[in-house]
Amino acid sequence: MAIDTEPLVVNIGPQHPSTHGVFRMRVTLDGERITDAEMIVGYLHRSMEKLAEERTWTQNIPFTDRMDYLAAMTGNLSYCIAVERLASIEVPERAQYLRVIFAELQRIASHAMANGTFVNDCGAWQTPLLYMFREREKVLDLFEMTCGARLTLNYMRIGGVAFDLPDEFLPQLRSLLDELPDRIAEYEQLLVDNEILLMRSRGIGVLSPEMAMNSSMSGPMLRGSGIAWDVRKADPYCVYDRMDFDIPVGHTGDSYDRFRVRMEEVRQSVRIIEQAVAQLPPGRHCADVPLNFRPPEGEIYSRIESPKGELGFYLISDGGPQPYRFHVRSPSLINLSALREMVVGQTVADAIVTLGSIDLNVGEMDR
Amino acid sequence: MIAFWTLAALAVTSAAMIIVVRNLLHAVLFLILSFVGIAGLYITMSADFVAVAQVLIYAGAISVLMIFAVMLTPRSDRDNAGNMLQAPALVLSGLVITAVSMVAVETDWRLADRVAFESTATEIGDALVSPFVLPFEIASVVLVVAMIGAIVLVRED
Amino acid sequence: MQLLGRWYDFRDLGNGVARLIEALEDVGAPDGVIYAVTGLLGAVAILVFVAIAAVMNSWIERRLIARIQVRRGPNRTGRFGLLQPVADAIKLIQKEALQPARADGLVFSLAPILIFIPAILAFAVLPWGEQMVLADLNVGVLYLLALGSTTTIIIFMAGYASNNKYALLGSMRAIAMLISYELPMVMALLGVVTFAGTMQMSGIVAFQETHWSWLIFFQPLAFLIFLLGSTAELNRTPADISEAESEIVAGFHIEYSGMKFGLFYAVELINAVAVSGVITALFLGGWWAFGLEQWIPGWLIFIGKLYGVYFILIWFRGTLPRFRIDQLMAFAWKFLLPLAIVNVFAASIEVLLWREYDLSAGLVLPIAAAVNLALAVVLIAGWGRVMGAAYEQEPRRPRLFSEIDVPLPGDGPASGPAAASEPATA
Repeated sequence: MAIDTEPLVVNIGPQHPSTHGVFRMRVTLDGERITDAEMIVGYLHRSMEKLAEERTWTQNIPFTDRMDYLAAMTGNLSYCIAVERLASIEVPERAQYLRVIFAELQRIASHAMANGTFVNDCGAWQTPLLYMFREREKVLDLFEMTCGARLTLNYMRIGGVAFDLPDEFLPQLRSLLDELPDRIAEYEQLLVDNEILLMRSRGIGVLSPEMAMNSSMSGPMLRGSGIAWDVRKADPYCVYDRMDFDIPVGHTGDSYDRFRVRMEEVRQSVRIIEQAVAQLPPGRHCADVPLNFRPPEGEIYSRIESPKGELGFYLISDGGPQPYRFHVRSPSLINLSALREMVVGQTVADAIVTLGSIDLNVGEMDR
Repeated sequence: MIAFWTLAALAVTSAAMIIVVRNLLHAVLFLILSFVGIAGLYITMSADFVAVAQVLIYAGAISVLMIFAVMLTPRSDRDNAGNMLQAPALVLSGLVITAVSMVAVETDWRLADRVAFESTATEIGDALVSPFVLPFEIASVVLVVAMIGAIVLVRED
Repeated sequence: MQLLGRWYDFRDLGNGVARLIEALEDVGAPDGVIYAVTGLLGAVAILVFVAIAAVMNSWIERRLIARIQVRRGPNRTGRFGLLQPVADAIKLIQKEALQPARADGLVFSLAPILIFIPAILAFAVLPWGEQMVLADLNVGVLYLLALGSTTTIIIFMAGYASNNKYALLGSMRAIAMLISYELPMVMALLGVVTFAGTMQMSGIVAFQETHWSWLIFFQPLAFLIFLLGSTAELNRTPADISEAESEIVAGFHIEYSGMKFGLFYAVELINAVAVSGVITALFLGGWWAFGLEQWIPGWLIFIGKLYGVYFILIWFRGTLPRFRIDQLMAFAWKFLLPLAIVNVFAASIEVLLWREYDLSAGLVLPIAAAVNLALAVVLIAGWGRVMGAAYEQEPRRPRLFSEIDVPLPGDGPASGPAAASEPATA
């Protein structure tokens, strides 16, 4: 017996605690079940790609901070690597290692945030989030110690990094690396076998491997769906080819898998940092690059593995002091492309969990 | 005595308001108010178990059922608009009122000479399982039937 | 003892009231006046406690949650942040009470006021001390349940009148949840009532005193069911789906601002205290604590236990994620309700044997306690295994690959060639 009911159209966002910024999802509900969903993006559009064409190559680095403000280091890094490849700049050995260390620290911080908010979206009342913030805080302290900023770091430079390590950096990094495995174990103890978390995220927001590949997913989204792909292995940059680490890969591609993959990636990041610190050579931390340098005419697409996925920069130089074209392949936006397929048929609560497991960052999505 | 008149006025007024208001959900809310007033009347008759059961079942459960029914009504304005059934409803309710007042006038009302029960719940429990055991069991069978019927209705297959 | 039963015997404030009644009778006041004076006295005392508790609990809860979450909590206003609730209240009163344009004005304004009524009324039947019950109803337990069920309607009023989709979703969730959880809670309390043989709150406490044991030992299953059910009734995690912040923002009170929101917030805290009080009285012996009440005022013991239970509720909130609504309903209907029915059945048989064969309480009750404890453990573990989710056996830990490995779509399972996979060892 079917009862005629009115479908309920609900705007989740742009002002909503679980959209992690100003992202809007217009869902059509039948009771609590989602029958249709539409993604509406662009609320945080700051026209960065156009603005970047008006600034010099060096002046554009701060823009990359403000894209994914939770992982500014990798934003910087990706842009700098792209420019260096475009201009064939040789980066000193020490700078390469420093970049690896900071990129992995940033990954730890970003994944801590992602997992914390994910569990928060599952309804835990802030506790796991604040636990993970504790580690993120320590990483940010390290950043502050090195470059003075905590969020918008602007640390990478074309040709290296802005500053060498301060003296107290390595001991403090050492103590963080020592305690991190225990912390991860602690979180896993709290969350991994938590029956409620399993109920909420197992089988929710399933992304099949085919779907993941067809929609050009990358990062933990792709790996959660069972595909072992990582730019750090596939197209090594910096000195990742000298590091020994594993790619964690999920089983079914549900929200829980993505959560676990991120958890495991933090472990791998610790491994990488330990190796990088052990191999850290002495030397200069930045190549000599003039402030008003002009890369030769040409174009480049260069990518790195940011915490959220494949962060690529497509740059065209006309030989001038400014980029002719500055385009960002932002993983947050592209990882979102399958959201509709993932949430339709689920309840509102599941959609929130799915959205949380994508780990989107609106700053990077809208640019 | 004051309590009786206040509660009676509350119950009757809100019952009248159910018919008067045009918003169906307001009508349900007035119905609940009426139920609460009647529960109050039970208390003045020192029937505390019945009063609490009235609140628990009528104000708490039955009215929720009605709210769900109203919310599931497709009409979006949820208006209590006039329709074809007005005249028959008037006749029917007139008949009911006449019957009830006839009974009320005809009955030889005696004041209760017993003191209030120490615990009405025990008395009701005893009454339910000794003299009235058959109606009680029939009621439970009816409820089971209703429950099974509901399950069959909403089963998706 | 010398001061036993005197008015200044603070172990039970009921003594003072009793003296007051005597004094009034000596003066020759009519019954109505005595009734009104003592009633008002008790009501004012309870209201004062409730008001203080509501204000202070927000501080206590925030501090405790902060400790759970490795932070400090409010600590700027006054010593240890004690004035934080006052500051919050001033802020809320100052704020404009907004009302959505197409809201149902009267209902919208009435809901936050009405929701106070059941919350406060629940305190009337709590036994604070041996003679300290404001209204010692014969049907006290049922009365509490009836109050709980009326809250549903008021939440619906708030959600419907707000003219907001989130609010409507929240209130429909609340209704569905409260109705579902009423059943296991009633069933759980039925076990308690069967044991105590009365629905009177003071009678239940007296039963626990007579038999020198708390009912939690006789009815562990009922205690657990009631505790879990009350988290649902209180809208607290893991059952806070009706105001689920991450999903429907604030649920039924999303449109309320200023002091109207403050009232909902206060009611939430008051309800938590009331439910803690009910659990204390029914399962933890109320004011009675194995003879300790000889030395410490009974009402202090009661309040102490009450806050013990309240702490558990805060702990829940600080630890657990939230259920989805269908999971929560399934938990009530498929897990709690069957267990509660079995529990009532077991309790009835035990009490029947005890009363019919006139066995001595000293013999029956320890056996009953042991049987019920074993029953609780077996039922929870067993039923959990039967009803538990199937993913128990599924692998959870991600596989680790040291090489990249990309199968093409249509290549079958995406696990890739086995040679490349390197299962986790740790």
